[in-house]
Amino acid sequence: MKKPPILERMTDVFRDVLDNETVALTRETTANDIEEWDSLSHITIIVAIEKEFNIRFNLADLKPLRNIGEFEDLIALKTGSQD
Amino acid sequence: MTFNSLAYVLFLPLVFLAFQTAADRYRWLVLLIASYAFYGFMLQPSLLLILAFVTAFSYLMGKYIDRETNNGTRKKQLLFSVLVNLAILVYCKYLLFVVENLNGLLDIFSPETSIPLPKPMVSIALSFFVFQAISYLADIYFGITGSEPHLGRFALFMSFFPKLLQGPIERAGSMLPQLMRPYRFDYDGIRKGLLLFGWGLFLKTVVADRLAFFVDPVYNNVQAYAGIPLIIATYAYAFQLYFDFAGYTNMALGSARLFGINLTQNFNSPYLATSCADFWRRWHISFSRWILDYIFQPLQMKWRNLGINGTALALFVTFLLSGIWHGASWNFVIWGVLHGIFMAASAYYKPYKKKIHKKFRIDNSRWVSIWQVAVTFHLVCFTYIFFRASTIEDSWHIVTNLTQFNENYKYIHDSGIRLFIKENIIMGQYMLDLLTTISVLAVTLIVYKNRTVSLFEKPTWFRWTCYYAILVIILSLQVTTKTNFIYLQF
Repeated sequence: MKKPPILERMTDVFRDVLDNETVALTRETTANDIEEWDSLSHITIIVAIEKEFNIRFNLADLKPLRNIGEFEDLIALKTGSQD
Repeated sequence: MTFNSLAYVLFLPLVFLAFQTAADRYRWLVLLIASYAFYGFMLQPSLLLILAFVTAFSYLMGKYIDRETNNGTRKKQLLFSVLVNLAILVYCKYLLFVVENLNGLLDIFSPETSIPLPKPMVSIALSFFVFQAISYLADIYFGITGSEPHLGRFALFMSFFPKLLQGPIERAGSMLPQLMRPYRFDYDGIRKGLLLFGWGLFLKTVVADRLAFFVDPVYNNVQAYAGIPLIIATYAYAFQLYFDFAGYTNMALGSARLFGINLTQNFNSPYLATSCADFWRRWHISFSRWILDYIFQPLQMKWRNLGINGTALALFVTFLLSGIWHGASWNFVIWGVLHGIFMAASAYYKPYKKKIHKKFRIDNSRWVSIWQVAVTFHLVCFTYIFFRASTIEDSWHIVTNLTQFNENYKYIHDSGIRLFIKENIIMGQYMLDLLTTISVLAVTLIVYKNRTVSLFEKPTWFRWTCYYAILVIILSLQVTTKTNFIYLQF
C-alpha cells in the first residue's frame, strides 16, 4: 500500500506530540504559527519524526530549518527513495 | 551607571543628540563609544578589557567557524571558543566560590592546609555578554546566521548599552540586521520608547523599591520571624523581583527604541502561567530561550534513546545550570535544582495530564486554569525563598517556620508580627503610599491593557494627562533610598 505524503504524516506526528488535533501544517508553517511548538517541545517532535520515518537527524541539520517546507525536504532527502 | 541614576538621565539625551547629529555611517561609532563609556562608569577597568577581549575573540572565532568547511574542525573551533568564553566567566564569577568549597573539603581531610582565597571580583554584565557571545558562535556553527564582517558593528552588538548590564540576551539574527540598516527618524518609535522608559522607571522606583520595605527587614533578619511575616515577605519579594526586572527591561527596550533598535521582550505576565514550563515561557524569556536552545535541546537530542527519562534528565541539568548562572552560591544551586525537579516532574506528568482532565471532565474548566495559576505561582514563590535568602540556614529557617502560625498566640507574638510592625515603623505611611500606588497602577494597567498603541490613539489632552500622571507619581512617590536593580548581580 502506498504511504500517505510526507506532509500528511508530519501533521499526524505534530498532532500526536502536541496533543492538539487542530494543527494543520503547510509548507509555509513556522514555529511562530503553532503555540505549543516551542523550544521545550521542539526535540520531542523531532524524535517522533525520526521514529515515524525511521531516520536520524543531527542538531546541525535541523537548526537552519526555517519552515515546515524545508523540514519536509530534509525528510525527503533522508528517506531517499521511499517516496 | 544604572538606568535609575541621575547620570543616566543626563547621559541618554546626550547620546541621543550625538546620534541624531552624526552622519549615518558613523552612528554605530557614536553608540559604541557611548556603550563603552556607559560601562566605564562602573569604574571597573578590568571589565572593559574583558568585554573588549570577549568581543575580539568571538569576532575572530566566528569568522573562522564560518569560513571552515571541514565539519570536524568546525566543531573543534566551536568547542574551543565556547570553552574560552566559559573559562573567563568561571574565573571572574565562580573562582572564589570554588576555592571556598575546596577549602571546606580540605578542612575535613587536612585541617592545616588551605588554598589562599582569591580576591572577590566584580562581574557586572559579564554573564550576559558571555552568553550572547556563545549564542553568536553557536548560531554560526549551526548555519542560522553568518559571521559579522564589521568588527565595529559586532562590538556594538556585544556592548549596546541599553542591554549590556542585564540583557535581554540578544540573538545575532535579530539584532545585527538592525544595526546594519540605515537609520530613519521615527517619531512614533521614539515616543513609544520614551513612554516605555517612563513606565519602567515607575515600576522600578515606585512599585519595586516600595515592595522592598516589606521584604528586606524580614529577609535580612530571618531568624527573628515565623509564620505570617515570612509569608508576606516572600509574596512581596515575588512582586518586587518581577517589577524590578520588568521595570529594567522596559527601560532597556525604551532606551533602545530611541536609536531605532527593537530589543527582545523579556516578560509576558509570568505569574499568570499555568505550569512551570509555561512560567519559563513567560519569565526572562531571552534567558530561558537561551538555556533551552543551547543546553536543553542538545542534551535532549543526545539522550533521546532514553525516552522520557532523557528529557527529564536534560531538563534537570539545564535548570541546575541556570541556577548556577544566577550566582556562585548554594542558594542559587538549590533554586535551580527545584525548578529542575518541577520541570522534570512535568515531563513525566504531561502525557497523562489531558487524559486525567478529560476523565474528570474538567478539560475546559475555568476553575482548573485558576487552580493551575495558583499552584504554579506558589511553586515559584517557594523557590524564591532560596533565591532571596542570604544563606542556606536562613532559607531553611523560612521553610521550616513558614506555617508556624498555628502555634499558641504567645509564640506568634514573640517571634514575628510585633517585630514586623516595629521594623516597618512608618508602615502606616508605607501602606498609604502602597494603596495609592496600587490604585494608580490599576488605573494605568487598564489604560495600558491594549498596549501603548491605544494610548497614542487617544486625544492629546488624555495622553498628556497620562504622561504627567506618571511623571508626578514617579517624582512624588519614588523611593529615594539608592537602590540597584536586582538582576545587576547576575
